[in-house]
Amino acid sequence: MDTSKTAGTTGATGATGAANTTGTANTTVTTGTSHSRMTRRRLLAAGAAGAAAAVTSGCGGSASADDGPMRFWNFYAPQRSEDPALNAQSKWFTDLVEKWNRSHKRQIELLYMPPPTYQNGSKLPTAFAAGDGPDIFLASPGDFLRYYNGGVLADLTPYMDRRALDDYHPDTLDSRMVDGKVYALPMEVEPLAVFYDVGVWEKAGLSEGDVPTTWDRLLDVGEKLTTKTRAGLVLKTLPGYLQNFLWYSWMWLGGGDVLDEHGAVTVDSRPVRQALQLWQDAVRSGITPTTAPAGDDMISGFKAGRAGMWHSGIWEIASLKAFAPDLEYGMFKHPLPPGGKYTTALGGWSFCANAKGRDPQAAAEFCAWALGTMEDECVDRITDWCIEAKRDIAPRKSALRRGTERGGYDDWAMKYMKEEVFPGGRPEPRYPPVVYKAMSDALQGSMLAGRDVGEEAARAAQSVEAYVRSYKGASLI
Amino acid sequence: MTLHGTARSQAAAPTTAKAAPGADGPGPRRRLGRRHREWIAAGLFIAPDALGLAVFVGLPMVLSVVLSFFQVSGFGSYEFVGLGNYARMMDDPLFWESMRITGVYVVVLVPLLFVVSLGLGLLVRQRVPGVGVFRTLFFLPYVISLVVVGLLWKFMFDDQVGVVNQGLRAAGFAGHSWLGDPSTALYSVIAVFVWVMMGYYMIIFLAGLQEIPREYYEAARIDGAGPWTQFRTITWPLLRPTSFFVLLMSTVAAITGGFELVFVLTEGGPANSTSLAIFYIYQQAFVFGEYGYASAMGTVLVLAMLLCSGAIFKATRGGRFDDDR
Repeated sequence: MDTSKTAGTTGATGATGAANTTGTANTTVTTGTSHSRMTRRRLLAAGAAGAAAAVTSGCGGSASADDGPMRFWNFYAPQRSEDPALNAQSKWFTDLVEKWNRSHKRQIELLYMPPPTYQNGSKLPTAFAAGDGPDIFLASPGDFLRYYNGGVLADLTPYMDRRALDDYHPDTLDSRMVDGKVYALPMEVEPLAVFYDVGVWEKAGLSEGDVPTTWDRLLDVGEKLTTKTRAGLVLKTLPGYLQNFLWYSWMWLGGGDVLDEHGAVTVDSRPVRQALQLWQDAVRSGITPTTAPAGDDMISGFKAGRAGMWHSGIWEIASLKAFAPDLEYGMFKHPLPPGGKYTTALGGWSFCANAKGRDPQAAAEFCAWALGTMEDECVDRITDWCIEAKRDIAPRKSALRRGTERGGYDDWAMKYMKEEVFPGGRPEPRYPPVVYKAMSDALQGSMLAGRDVGEEAARAAQSVEAYVRSYKGASLI
Repeated sequence: MTLHGTARSQAAAPTTAKAAPGADGPGPRRRLGRRHREWIAAGLFIAPDALGLAVFVGLPMVLSVVLSFFQVSGFGSYEFVGLGNYARMMDDPLFWESMRITGVYVVVLVPLLFVVSLGLGLLVRQRVPGVGVFRTLFFLPYVISLVVVGLLWKFMFDDQVGVVNQGLRAAGFAGHSWLGDPSTALYSVIAVFVWVMMGYYMIIFLAGLQEIPREYYEAARIDGAGPWTQFRTITWPLLRPTSFFVLLMSTVAAITGGFELVFVLTEGGPANSTSLAIFYIYQQAFVFGEYGYASAMGTVLVLAMLLCSGAIFKATRGGRFDDDR
């Protein structure tokens, strides 16, 4: 697995919202305080608390307001790698924390976890379950409701500059807000597009004029690029948050959605069925393989001549530069269905502060200090992350402007992402697990089991409707 | 410690040391009987392991059962729901589907693994030059991490350039998307699991086979028995304890194992076709944050495993021979 890729993986992770969480109503479990009467229920609750800690973690203990440093769990730093991009990302984090530590009494220490462990593993949820979650951590939109409904996200708004709130691109903060308050600060924006291998493209007799702008043309081109050992178009096949995240764009292109702006379930609709049908047709026609080639790694796939087109995101640009500098590639925006309107899903990770950590106030202050002020230093920091350490769209207007001035978006790929792909994008949804699972099952059933898309959409709609009826927590949209 | 053992040890206790008449104070120390000493020695040998099992297996199991009666948010919120999680399980089609998949997995995997391991055991029992190399080669997959095995086979099962399809095409067959087709993904995972485990059970069978005296075979050959008759009348009956052990252990491994392979090879897909109960439990706990519900499912899975183990015990009489008492 190409580790450079995972460092840029979008905010679609396995660790996500807890179903049926009911706000922040936490039962305080006392285990033997002298004044508490130990009823049977309390005793069981105490046992359960111990069970959670013992079963889900090798080390229990809750975070307490002690004088120790706050722990910042992340998947970037500190680390050493062969990949200069990963080293630059690590340095960005270590510099950030060093700067904070020099000027603040409450210290911070970084704790690195490999991206797969952090993004798809059980370490972070287990730590929270055991009452020993990190003080500061990175989260994706898919994680948001789980942590918010679990009561572990600190409100960052009081520590932020009002102008910085307005400086974020419209909608970028929406999926991280509840009742007008910000609970997570994005460090990047990651749009999606279709990448293609120019050499393969030309060998198949295609030119720039053949770049598909409609779904039908996409399948036609895919067919031309498909050979016995080459996939015409690679779409994500493994089930998970990432697959859903990548598919939502196609659903939105035709005007479909899981929930409308009023929160009503709209899964059983023509645009949703249409998007399911597209992915099913791509597989049925043999254009899209049912298991991604080259271990699901785009760069390896292109280098080995195993793929003509690959649906992915902006994070691939840095990896292409690092690991396939000689590969000539192109990219294009999502093609449209009849009557469709362009959009793309915008992923990206955020800084979060643990409301139940050692020092929630200092943790929230750190997040706001790092990404949420109008100070030059703060804007520069975000700019550095998005044009030097990584290659992303800056989440704030001032940082995007500054990044452009500094030439960060001069090369064709970043320029195309910024000017063509990003505008019109929509933030990754924050659907909790039950909704994710319903949509994932519909997509998997249609795409890989060849089931009727109408039935799959109807079944998903039923699951989502049943869930929404009993859901208690922050707004799902 | 049995009463019988105590009585015997007391009876066997030396009676030579007698207190002097009229002497005060405690009498002389009586030496512990041999049986006593054996029990203490055995206890001391077993204690570290027993302690480890109690702390790292027994206690979490008990706590997990306790947790199954709660709805747990994963953020310190515990709400007692009684049998709510178990009731929810009854209405959860994905849970039953995962149990069905686990059932298929066990029913296909266990006999296949048994036959392959026994076959290999019989093969490497032969006293031919170089047999040690083959024993090592067959055992090798077992020592590789399951995650590495998963990654390895993911590439080998690749639709277009994987060695499996390349071989099939070279032999004149069509290639197939082994892990991408819901109708073959589970069997592909089973094949990989057999490949991993066959060496381990081969060694177990080999140990059992080497226990059988060679004279039996020599006598059978003199009586004109062929290889099949020898296997049927000597090997198979005398392998009974070993067969029981392999059957039991592989069933337990099939019900509770396979998570790593599924996680790496298919992540439960395509279309939930490899979503074993153990994988679904993991998803509920660590993806959905439903620790209480996952614990309830885990409890049911353990009960299912105990039932299967009990059935195997009953069917094979614990691997005992007919004339054993």
